[in-house]
Amino acid sequence: MAEFVFRLPDLAEGLEDAEVVEWRVAEGDQVELNQLLGEVQTSKATVEIPSPRTGRVVRVHAQPGELVRVGEPLVTFEVDDEPGVVGRVPHDRGARRRVRLRRPGQA
Amino acid sequence: MVQALNAALRQCLRDDPRTLVFGEDVGRLGGVFRVTDGLQDEFGARVFDTPLAESGIVGIAIGLAMAGWRPVPEIQFDGFSFPALDQVLTNLAKYRGRSRGAYDMAVTLRVPSFGGISGPEHHSESPETLYAHTAGLKVVSPSGPQEAFHLLVQAVEEPDPVIFLEPKSRYWAREEVSMTPSPLPVGKARIVRSGDDATLVAWGAMVRRCLEVAAAAEEDGVSLEVLDLRWLVPMDDETLVESVSRTGRAVVVHEAPRTGGMGAEVSARLMELAFRKLRAPVQRVTGWDVPYPAASAEHEYIPSLDRILLAVQRVLDE
Repeated sequence: MAEFVFRLPDLAEGLEDAEVVEWRVAEGDQVELNQLLGEVQTSKATVEIPSPRTGRVVRVHAQPGELVRVGEPLVTFEVDDEPGVVGRVPHDRGARRRVRLRRPGQA
Repeated sequence: MVQALNAALRQCLRDDPRTLVFGEDVGRLGGVFRVTDGLQDEFGARVFDTPLAESGIVGIAIGLAMAGWRPVPEIQFDGFSFPALDQVLTNLAKYRGRSRGAYDMAVTLRVPSFGGISGPEHHSESPETLYAHTAGLKVVSPSGPQEAFHLLVQAVEEPDPVIFLEPKSRYWAREEVSMTPSPLPVGKARIVRSGDDATLVAWGAMVRRCLEVAAAAEEDGVSLEVLDLRWLVPMDDETLVESVSRTGRAVVVHEAPRTGGMGAEVSARLMELAFRKLRAPVQRVTGWDVPYPAASAEHEYIPSLDRILLAVQRVLDE
């Protein structure tokens, strides 16, 4: 078994955060891939959040009414440790650089 | 930034009874990005919906401007500004000159622009070059909420037509906004971060990206200056030349395609005005010369941290 942290994805519109409206699952629940986890509200629309994985909900990180920033943990799952994750991995906003600079005059 | 733009429009509508706001869905709905939210409730018929006819929207604005109004029309998305190009190129840009100054053309055409929101191509275009190449227009793009407020108020007060390109990917950016007049005059650029080793030149959403690059470079001991051009027309040669003369190196970053883009214009001006101060050829980091790609490939199109860092390395290595 492995832990999988589902972070609030960029909801496709460059939004910076979203407010949790309601949860349809509770800690301890077993959920299927794409099962409805709950709803969040952005400044533009209310969005249903499907589960990115099949697994057991270990922790729900924000309660209804709370604001979650994009990239912050939303739900932690316990999942089967298997290769080949189905679905898209939510992109992490931090740590996107690979290139390191050499200073002028440095070898 | 949406609220900052809304506050700027509200102020313009309040302070000058000649101000008019119109476009597709801007009235009853309050705009698809909520920029005009609540304005129709407060200002009634001075904020109105138009048919889905962009050429008509700009045509109406031209007529109203000739009659002494200050229209602030909205084109819903960058790609939809193209059906209005005939009116923009033929009349909007030319009427002040054509009438030898008899008519002001005090139109501010707001166009939500640029990519980064996983939209289709007609919601993600960077049309600044088309407008900058059309003499008679002023062209400006804010990089964040405070800039959006200052620049929109300034644009509306201008007697010339202003193309106001709002970076959609920055609409939800948050910062404290002071509702004071802009401290900078029309056409002035702004150094948003000072540095010694090279200057990054950008506008709109790429200013934020360049600030991320500067922060990453700092980790490696490289000091980058970030210049927000703000106004593409008129372009602030003075600040541009001053900054690049000091650092000796420049990288221009934009989302629009490379060929004939505004990066080429910036580069040419630096050749003409600061050639002897340059320690490396000016580099461009831009969108590719392809139609705007599907959302899934967007991150390959928009200049990334790594692509900009590689260009910075090229100017440092010279």
